[in-house]
Formats: sequence, structure tokens, C-alpha cells
Amino acid sequence: MGRTKSRRTIKNSLWVKGGYMDYQSIFLIFVIVLFGLMMVYSASSYRAITYGFPGTYFMKRQAVFAMIGFVIMYIVSRVNYRFLSDYSVVLIYIAIALLAYVLILGRASHGATRWIQVGPMQIQPSEIAKPLIIIYMADACVKKSKYLNSIKGIFNIVLLPLICIGLIAVENLSTAIVCFAIVVAILFVASPKLFNLIVLGIVGFIAAAVLALGVGYRSDRFDAWKHPETSKYGFQTIQSLYAIGSGGFFGRGLGNSIQKLGFLPESHNDMIFSVICEELGLFGALVVITLFVLLIFRFKFIADGAVDSFGGFIITGVITHVAVQLIVNIGVVTNTIPPTGVTLPFISYGGTSLVFMLAEIGLVLSVSRQMSLTEQ
Amino acid sequence: MNVFTHHNKKRLLHFFVIAMLLLSVMVFRLFYIMVVRSKYYGEAAVAIQERERSIKAPRGLIYDRNGVILAGNKAVCSISVIHSRITDEEKVIKELSERLDMDEAVVRKKVAKVSSREKIKSNVDKDVADEIRDLDLAGVMVDDDYKRYYPYSELASKVIGFTGADNQGIVGIEVEYDKVLMGTNGSINTLTDANGIEIPGAAENRKEPVMGDNLVLTLDVNIQMYIEQAAMKVMKEKNANRVCVIVMNPQNGEIYGMADVPGYNLNEPFKYNKSDKTTNEVTQDDLNNMWRNFCINDTYEPGSTFKIVTATSALEEGVVGLEDSFYCPGYKLVGDRRIKCHKTVGHGSETFKQGIMNSCNPVFMEVGARVGAKSFYDNMKKLGLFEKTGVDLPGEANSIFHKLENVGEVELATMSFGQSFQITPLQLVRAVSAVVNGGTLVTPHFGKYITDSNNNIISELKYDRKNGVIKNETSETMKYLLKAVVDEGSGKNAYIEGYSIGGKTATSEKLPRSSNKYISSFIGFAPAENPVVLTLIMIDEPEGVYYGGTIAAPVVGDIYNNILPYLGIEKEETEETKESKHE
Repeated sequence: MGRTKSRRTIKNSLWVKGGYMDYQSIFLIFVIVLFGLMMVYSASSYRAITYGFPGTYFMKRQAVFAMIGFVIMYIVSRVNYRFLSDYSVVLIYIAIALLAYVLILGRASHGATRWIQVGPMQIQPSEIAKPLIIIYMADACVKKSKYLNSIKGIFNIVLLPLICIGLIAVENLSTAIVCFAIVVAILFVASPKLFNLIVLGIVGFIAAAVLALGVGYRSDRFDAWKHPETSKYGFQTIQSLYAIGSGGFFGRGLGNSIQKLGFLPESHNDMIFSVICEELGLFGALVVITLFVLLIFRFKFIADGAVDSFGGFIITGVITHVAVQLIVNIGVVTNTIPPTGVTLPFISYGGTSLVFMLAEIGLVLSVSRQMSLTEQ
Repeated sequence: MNVFTHHNKKRLLHFFVIAMLLLSVMVFRLFYIMVVRSKYYGEAAVAIQERERSIKAPRGLIYDRNGVILAGNKAVCSISVIHSRITDEEKVIKELSERLDMDEAVVRKKVAKVSSREKIKSNVDKDVADEIRDLDLAGVMVDDDYKRYYPYSELASKVIGFTGADNQGIVGIEVEYDKVLMGTNGSINTLTDANGIEIPGAAENRKEPVMGDNLVLTLDVNIQMYIEQAAMKVMKEKNANRVCVIVMNPQNGEIYGMADVPGYNLNEPFKYNKSDKTTNEVTQDDLNNMWRNFCINDTYEPGSTFKIVTATSALEEGVVGLEDSFYCPGYKLVGDRRIKCHKTVGHGSETFKQGIMNSCNPVFMEVGARVGAKSFYDNMKKLGLFEKTGVDLPGEANSIFHKLENVGEVELATMSFGQSFQITPLQLVRAVSAVVNGGTLVTPHFGKYITDSNNNIISELKYDRKNGVIKNETSETMKYLLKAVVDEGSGKNAYIEGYSIGGKTATSEKLPRSSNKYISSFIGFAPAENPVVLTLIMIDEPEGVYYGGTIAAPVVGDIYNNILPYLGIEKEETEETKESKHE
């Protein structure tokens, strides 16, 4: 009965002291983030100099965010994640509020805005929304587990996240898709019956298709995908393929990408995987993918050992977040799927994304602290 | 009980497997792009990343038949700037405008222009360029280049021609043999960023330029110089428009010399050679006329030199014998027309041979009538007068004749002594060559060999020959008759002691006849028995005495006096020297 006992004691405290620390995940995440800093430096120095900054400008900024991110990750890992279950509804409303705010602000200034300016920092609410949706979905699937038996019930569970996704989709379809994938994945893992999900999936697919074909510029993306060499929107895709293709098996060598010298747009951002391929070749690309696979595998291991379903669902959400962004990002740079702006997790330049993803890792580590290894 | 159930774990595993499958698809795509299609995308990438800088190839040289360079290359440089690399703009402007002798404002404009590469000046002398190179100014590029250089400037200008800014042939031999002479430019390929700026330290892909092949001409510099001097001399003496001289080997069509004076300086082909117009007034037409080679680009009425063709036709057709007798009253009535002889009082009674020696028009009108239009045209055709000679120069003109069905007795009569049609001087040279070489129609030409940069022969240029266009005995008779013209007849001014020379004079009145403008000409060959050199001279609009026999024939005599010994033709013992020996 020691298990029940310890659960009780932990549930009452906000802070978790001691417990299991999953050093394998921590090691992998360090390696990936450091590798990301190196690649951001390589991919951005030319652009930094072009803008009149020192070559290390973007890398240094990213390093600062990485440090902030690691601190937050550590703090979150010390927080008793079950404490969040009481606040999940509040959190999702915060997400909706932020998203609505940035949307109205953007409309008011007659431009598409995805940021909220906080002092010197620009914060992207859509990046914040992702962990909040994960927490809400994980909590809802636990508290309203009976709802999972009916389509109506499922709709009740996903209503608030769908509002978030709808707000995100107005300006940023790709992030909306990632959030939708998170919602679906948690439902998939939590739902006792598959039938309801299939019905939901069909509805979702039809909605996505209407969205994709109905909006003009998105059908341009389909054209860019199918005929990148002739489409006027295919420039980025083609430059990415040139970069990847000229990498060959071992690449040009670290720092030697030519495509990053103004040919490849977003070379330190959405397209950083192309630069990795060009400089480090197929070999380097496979190493990066392997690091991610190991990380996800490790997360799955933690989920399997989670003391409750709330923790398991949270990890399911984080795994989905990382895996979907990885697959979609590589899919875009290799022109396997139509172009859409999704960053490569932990590696692409971008502060908010890095900080909040590391916070999600903190959640996973928090779950891992209470893992009962004996039960495995 | 909110436990992460076995069911949940199984679902998570399913999800994990789906994610791994999708990731495998991506890995497969990466493998496809980076291994299978690597070559395609890699090359496509290089195509947008590389900038090519060309290295000019030197043009092949043009030699005369003795290996003397007629067209060579001078190493020059072109100076350009790359705006984004200039560090000290003022210094660059100052140094370049001073050293290149250019207006500072012009240089400033070019230096200030934001382009990947802006040319300041080309054809800069090597030593000036080296000075600029030594200054080592950031952003200033000095590139090696070649400029065509003609050591003899005006010599054979109408034949050799010149090249343009990209060393491409513009006129003359330079354009006719452009493909041979043109080299293959090399290149330096360097990787650049998206703005075209070379990436420092990137590997260069260098392709060396290949020099063009050399061309050896049949032209002989010494003969060319001599005929140009002789032509200039008579042009000045007679205040003529132009003087043309062609010296050709009638046996094989090799042209030893071709002059059309005044020529122009090949090193400054855009500088007008006459003083009647200022630089601003000179039009492109004026320049085209200056570059024009009358010997092949224009036609004229040959006049009495054409009687060679008439006589040959008559002999071929067997309608006249050397001793046939004729009577010249100073004119001949043809149809309703009374056509005069140049000797208006008449030559009186004469044989056919005397008729040629006297260049008597009524005799030839009679002979022409005996031949008849149809046979006359057949013989002219055999002598190549209806076709271009095929000379290896651009823009050759063709003859203009009446249609055979339009030739009445008047036309036939005038054609018999070389009027009422037009041919190029070179067509006449070719036809007469066939008459005196035993009946072989040759192709006049300049190109002899194509050689490589070590002067090894790559190929010998071959030209068409048509044997037996006239009978050998006709040729022998004609040589005998034409020798008589020089020895004792109208062409006696071309006679040189010790040499046997054949020839025929002409004085053709230019159209309109009332203008009293003439072309005096003489065509001669030596040695008369077995000619190795045939020469045509034409003096266009001489002032004063204009008879071909008086002003044109002596020029050929003078030329032969010099070039026959040069060609290694020994003087023969003449009757007089033999007699003096006997004494």
C-alpha cells in the first residue's frame, strides 16, 4: 500500500522534493538544444551580418532563451503536475483570452500579428496555447472520462480546445493543425471506443479539406507542393530541395552551406533542417532524427510508468507535439507535404517556442518524478 | 481510479508506431532526395550558386605564305569595379580616372553604380593595367584580354579585314575564317551567395581557354607591299579614284596579292581614310565603302580585256583562223547601228592576230557574230563567268549579263569587245587563268593551311578545280596571241626585256558614256608559255591620258620586273642577247 500512501502525500504538496529524475531525457534534450544552437549559428550568421549585426546575433539570442527555458524546465519538473489539474479550465481560458487579444490587436493594427510584446520580448500566444491545451485535454479526459463514451460527450471535452484552435487557425494554420493533432492524440489514447473517434476524425477531415481548398492561398500551397519548379510559391520549396539534395551522404561540412547564403529563405527558422542536411548530409539528418526518436521513446517509457492517467495523457500530448512538428517540418522541407510553417522542435530559431517546449519537457520530468519503477 | 490503464498504454503504443511509420516515410524521402536525386538537385543548386567569369581565348594568328604574321594579338586588360567591395571610393575614382585618362565624372558614375560588376574600360595597355594591379585597390578588378593587332596596319586591309570588340571577325578573312580563328573561351566558376558575391575561399572551377587555330594565307607580304606601292604611285600620278591589283597563280588559284587602294588602317578601322569629311559627318555607309574590296564586291564593264574571252570562244568553236583577214574602216554597221572602233580612222586590212594586237573592235564584232550568242554564252559559262568565283572572302558579287534570249546582234557585238555587261575583276582573272593554264577553271583563294599553335599543319585547304573547260590547243594559241600583244601590240608597255609576258589592255568608258570617265586596265601573265603569275590592274577614273596600254600596262611591267625575279623566274635569253652573243 506504499504506492497509495506516497500518492496521497505528494498530492497535498505543490513542490516535489527528491524522487526519480530521468537523466536520459535530460541528456537527450541538452544534446538537441545545443546542437540546435550550433545550427542556428551556422544558418543565421550570414543573415545576421547582412542585417548589420554580428554573426553570432541570432545564436546568442537563442542561447538566452535556451537558458531561460532550462530554468523553467527545472522549475516545472519540481512542480507537482497534479496540482495543475485544479487550474486546467482557468488555463484554457487564459489561452483563449491571449489568442483573442492578439487577434483583435492584429486586426486593429491592420496586420497579421502573432505576438504580444512583453518588454523586450515578443511572445507568441499560439506557442503558449499548446501546453495549456495539453493540460486541459489531459485533465478533461480524466475528469470527464465517462463523456468519452459518446460523440456528444467528446464534443463537450474538445469544445474549449477547439475554440483555441479556431482562433489560432485564423492566422496560423500550421500551428492549429499541430494543436488539433494533440487533441486527437489524447482522445485516441484516452477513449475506450474507437468508433466515436473515427466519426470525429471524418468530420475533422472534411472541415480541414474545406479549409484547405476554400481559401485561395492555401490552394496555391498545393500548387507549390505539386509543381515546386514552376509555381510562383514554390521558390522556398525548391531552394530547400537544392540544399538537401546537394548535401549527399556526408554533406558539405559544418558551416559550409551555400544555400543559407541568401538563397534559402527562413534558413535558421522553418528551413533549418535543410541546412542540416546540406552541411551534415543524410548521415547528420539521421543522427538528428534518431535523437528525436530516442527522446520520444523515452517519453513513452515515462508515460507507461506514470502513476495516474493525467500524467500519461500529458506525456501523450507532449509526444504528439514533438512528433507532429518533427514529421511536418521534415515533410515540408522535403516537399513530401504542402508547404506550411512549422518549426523543428528545440532546433529552429524562435524564443517562445523553445521556452514553452522546454516547459513541456518540465511537465514530462515532473511526471517522471512520481514514476513507480517497481510497477513496470 | 484514474490509472493510466493498460488500454491507454496500448493506444499510446499504437500512436507511437504510427508516428514512427510516418517518420520512416520522411527518412525514405530524405534518402530519395539526398542519395537517389542528389546529383540532380546538387547540379541544379550549383547552377544557381555559381558565377562564371570567362577567360578570353587568344584568336588564331594569320600568316602570309612565308610565315610572316599579318594579324596577331596584343595582350591588353579590361578594368572593372565591384561596387560592394570598394573600401576607398574616392581613391579608386582618382586613381582610375588619372591612369586611364578618363573623365572623373564618368568614372565616378560607374564606380557609384551598384552592380555586381561594372566595366570601366577595356583594351587597356598591359603596363597601365599592371600599374593599377600593383595599387591593389579593393574592389578593382583587372582582367587579361587580347586585342587584335595588325603589324602592317594598312597592308592588304581589304583582304584581311578586322575584328570587333569581342574579337569576332567583322569583314574580310577575319570573318570568313572566324570559326577557325576563334578560340574557345575558358572560364572560372566560383560559388557566390545570393547577391552574386564570391564566397572567399570557395574552390574555383577553372577551365583553361583554348587559342584559335592559325591560318596561313597564299598572300605574299613582299608582293602585296610591292603592288600596293605601285598602285598608290599610279593612283597619285593619275589622281585616280582607286586602283585595284590582283596577282594570282593561274595554275592553282593561289592569290599572291590583292590590292584595292586606298586602304585603311586595320588597327583603327573606324577612322575614315579620306579628309573630305570630319569625324562627325562620316556615316556607316562611308565606312562600309572604305572597307569594300572592289576586286570582289563590285562589278564593272571589263572592256577590251574581255576580247580574250571572245577570241577563246571563236577558237573553241573553230570559226576563225589566225591568218583570217578582216577589214576595219573605223566602224562596223550592226543592224541599224554604226559602232565605232577606238581608232576612228580604221585599222584597214588586218589578220585576226593583228586584230587582237590592235584591239580592233570591228574585228571582234565580226568574230563574235561568227561565234553566235548561244555558243558565246556556252563558252563564257565554261570559263565560269556566270558564277561567283568561290573566293574565300565574304560578300562576293556576281556578274550581270543579258538573258540569252534578249541578245540581239547589237548586244552580241558590244559584248564581243567587253561592253553591256558587268563582271567582277576576280571573275575576269579566273576566266583568263583558265584560258592561259591549259583549260583548268581554278578557284581563286587565300587560305592555304590551318595550323595549330605550334605551327603544325592541321589541314590543307582544298579548292575545286575543273579541268578541260577549253581545249589545250586553244590555250596555247591564246598564249601565243597575247604574248604578241605585249611584244608588239597595244600592250607593249608591259614588256620587260628578258621576260616573256602575255597580256591584254582595256580602256572602258564608265556609264553614262557621256561622262568621259574611264577605267583603264591591263591583264598580263608571265612567263607567257607557262604562266605562274597573272596580274590584273584597274585604274578607276584616271585623269589625263586614260589608255590602258599607256598607263595600266607599264605598271604591270614594273610589278613584273620586281616580282618575277622574286618568284625565282629566270630571265630568258632574248633574240637580241642571243645575237649579241653570236657576234
